[in-house]
Amino acid sequence: MLPAEASRVADAIDLVWLIAILPLAAAVVNGVLGRRWLGKWTGGVATVALGISAALGVAVLFETIGLGHEAKRIVTLYEWIGVGDFHVPVAALVDPLSATMVTVVTVVSFLIHVYSNGYMAHDRGVHRFFTWLPLFVFFMLVLVLADNYVLMFVGWEGVGLCSYLLIGFWFERPEPYVAAKKAFVMNRIGDWGFTIGMILTFFTFGSVRFGEVFPKVAEVHGVDPTMLTVIALAFFLGATGKSAQLPLYSWLPDAMEGPTPVSALIHAATMVTAGVYLVARSTALFAAAGPALLVVAIVGAATAVFAATIAIVQFDIKRVMAYSTVSQLGYMFLALGVGAPIAAIFHLATHAFFKALLFLGSGSVIHATEEQDMRRMGGLRRKLPITYWTMLLAGGALAAIPPLAGFWSKDEIVGAAFTNGYPILSGIGVLTGLLTAFYVTRALYMTFHGEPRDHHLYEHAHESPAVMTIPLLLLAAGSVLAGVVLGFPPEGGFVHRFLEPAVAVEGAAQHAEPELVAILGLAATSVAAGLIGIVLGLAMYGRRRPDPAAVSRAAGPVYTLLRNKYYVDELYDHRFVELMRAAFGAAWAFDIHIIDGIVNRLGWVAGLVGGGIRRAQTGVVGNYALSIAAGLVLLIAVYGGYAMGVLRR
Amino acid sequence: MTTLVPLGAFIALSAALFFIGMAGVLVRRNAVVILMCVELMLNAANLALVAFSRRLGLIDERGSVFVVFVFVIAAAEVAVGLAIVLALYRNRPTVDVDEVREMKG
Amino acid sequence: MLDVIEPILFGVLALAIVGAAAGVVLADRVTTSALLMAFTFLNMAGMFVLLGAETIAAFQVLIYVGAITVLILYGVMFTPQAPRAYGLFFQKQTPAGALIAALAGLPVMVIAFAFRDTANIPPRGGDLVPLASSIFTDFAFPFEVASVLLLAAMVGAIVLVKREERGSGSAGPNDTTSPEHSRAKPVIGRARE
Repeated sequence: MLPAEASRVADAIDLVWLIAILPLAAAVVNGVLGRRWLGKWTGGVATVALGISAALGVAVLFETIGLGHEAKRIVTLYEWIGVGDFHVPVAALVDPLSATMVTVVTVVSFLIHVYSNGYMAHDRGVHRFFTWLPLFVFFMLVLVLADNYVLMFVGWEGVGLCSYLLIGFWFERPEPYVAAKKAFVMNRIGDWGFTIGMILTFFTFGSVRFGEVFPKVAEVHGVDPTMLTVIALAFFLGATGKSAQLPLYSWLPDAMEGPTPVSALIHAATMVTAGVYLVARSTALFAAAGPALLVVAIVGAATAVFAATIAIVQFDIKRVMAYSTVSQLGYMFLALGVGAPIAAIFHLATHAFFKALLFLGSGSVIHATEEQDMRRMGGLRRKLPITYWTMLLAGGALAAIPPLAGFWSKDEIVGAAFTNGYPILSGIGVLTGLLTAFYVTRALYMTFHGEPRDHHLYEHAHESPAVMTIPLLLLAAGSVLAGVVLGFPPEGGFVHRFLEPAVAVEGAAQHAEPELVAILGLAATSVAAGLIGIVLGLAMYGRRRPDPAAVSRAAGPVYTLLRNKYYVDELYDHRFVELMRAAFGAAWAFDIHIIDGIVNRLGWVAGLVGGGIRRAQTGVVGNYALSIAAGLVLLIAVYGGYAMGVLRR
Repeated sequence: MTTLVPLGAFIALSAALFFIGMAGVLVRRNAVVILMCVELMLNAANLALVAFSRRLGLIDERGSVFVVFVFVIAAAEVAVGLAIVLALYRNRPTVDVDEVREMKG
Repeated sequence: MLDVIEPILFGVLALAIVGAAAGVVLADRVTTSALLMAFTFLNMAGMFVLLGAETIAAFQVLIYVGAITVLILYGVMFTPQAPRAYGLFFQKQTPAGALIAALAGLPVMVIAFAFRDTANIPPRGGDLVPLASSIFTDFAFPFEVASVLLLAAMVGAIVLVKREERGSGSAGPNDTTSPEHSRAKPVIGRARE
């Protein structure tokens, strides 16, 4: 430690744990006092706490920028587990990657909290909402700040729990709690992978702290490379569960049963990005793990296109956004898999802004019309102007139209895939971009343009209050500016220089610097694909040429397949859930008949023996005296035996 | 020359008395008679004690002292035992030990 | 001359003791058993005298013949039973009981004859002084404990036979004495069966 450092005053990084503890405190206060006393004011409590956290988060970010190239500091609270060789401290690793995540999480959470004050104002359970939501932020921050896998897992599990609580928020109806259960169980399957990864990491590296594991990767690679692959794949399984990739994705569309701010925060901007963060953080591990990265890339790309194909035929506006999220997360994993972790994080950040905006805007529409089915909407841009224009910007960002944020990050992913030697995956990315542009155009057009299809709905629609529209505006600003400010020029922007030390891997294969021609060419291809998608969407839904109804009839079985989401849920239910039910039945029968049976038999035997011995208790005193006398005879016999040498002492 | 009765005779007598008393305890129905037989057994013990005390050649009065205590115990035991029998008799007018089976099981 | 008498006396007393004891076990009426028991006690006293323990003999007469016999007779008096046939007053377990007693007794008696006394035997008589010194010096504490024991037994016996007063609540359905509540006198000599 340099002498100058030793004598500095405490700075924002020292207070980094405060960022997490403030939302926790808000959650506790709201939980204890919310029902009886605070009521609606729980929203204010949570929002203020989040505001301070966000300010602190930005301060930490600036300080981390100021730390320069070797930017990394660890802030330890206390040692949580110290058993033999296994040490798990509660410590925060503050480096560019975690600072970025903290900023994204706290700023977006803050805006969504502000929004929720308006959206949830009339809900009966508003105090519950503002208990679980900041609690979720706390766990997410623990996840992002942790300096070791075990503490990260605490946050990982915690966000899963809060997701369950918030998806099932309106538990009086059956769909929300079924969806919550499904989300939690699928997450759990992923968690199993994470746990295996954690355990194997400890046994292979002797520690679970990032600072101690990653430097040793090269050494372990020389000794046992397959173990690294196994660990990486195990962690990736966890990531697929949490980030809704194939095959553990189908919980995310169902999670739309939760309130829209929840969908915006948890299922767009933060929790689902935890998987991306995990892989990004473990870059050193994955880079040396052989085929694991290829698996990540393929799964990401496949998920991206798969989800996009489903999104194009959904009619529920939130479901469109949900599948879009799954698809965009696929992009992030594709980026991680082709060796461009910075692009993945960049896209994570921009996506957080525009997807949250899309969700909040949808929430605004739902708030205005009490309806989620786009077939009953139409022409709402005249009634909801702010919502319309902000959603338009967000939609453009999603479709990767320059100079909006989404263009810079998505284009970089597709470009990196191509230049790092994965042209097929790159092509899939471009195709998905086309589909993305198409479905977002479709959604926006059906909702805001054309003639209103339900006049009653239309008449009653009204723009949302300021508390809801201001966050929309702020997020729109982010969607527009973030890309240019952070990511320009491509591969050389601020975000690249900033994040590079955090994800750098010693001795990793250096990718060829792409030439300007290649960059421009790829960019043009992406933009072209996006424009084609938009034009197609406008043509089909604006001019009815070709008419969507006719197209869907013509595509018959394909349309049905897409409409029913490839029957994945039915497949899972039939194959896996039925299997599990059979297993449960068997286990229950085993418990009842064998375990309980053994205990009952033992009891019966005891009863039998007791009954037998009981016959000695005749109640007649003389019999007891007789048995004493009989004992005496026995004693005399024994002593006689000793005396006569027959028995030995 | 003194012909003393040998010690063994006394002990054999004590044994005989003891086992006659025991037979009485095991055989008679009347609770009071059983108590009497118990007294016989105690007497037998006393005889053995005194015989050993006087005939084993040690200047030791401990046997006789013990006999005094046995007297005390026997008296106490008879008193309490009869009290119990009387209480039993009051409860149902029988002292037949074969009939009193409340402790069965 | 005393030496010759001693074995004869022993024989007579022994026969009397065994006979009376057998009589206690086998007698027809309870009262007979009681009196035979007293007779046994008297002969035992004689046996003690033969051994030279006169004090013990005196105690035997005082305590056993004097007190315990009286107690037993009181017990007989307060528990009148209808006379039973001879066969009926043996317990159901009599064959087993007799067998076991014999099994235990006969070997012991046989072995008992083997005891031999030692060469030097203290002179007869004068056992009071040593006995008293032992009790009141070496064994003073057990002596006191014995008195407490007697006190406890006395209290216990009284508590056990105390009748409940009328209206003090613990007369249960089995209490056959309720008609007698007004009278304090015990029931005498009435055949209840």
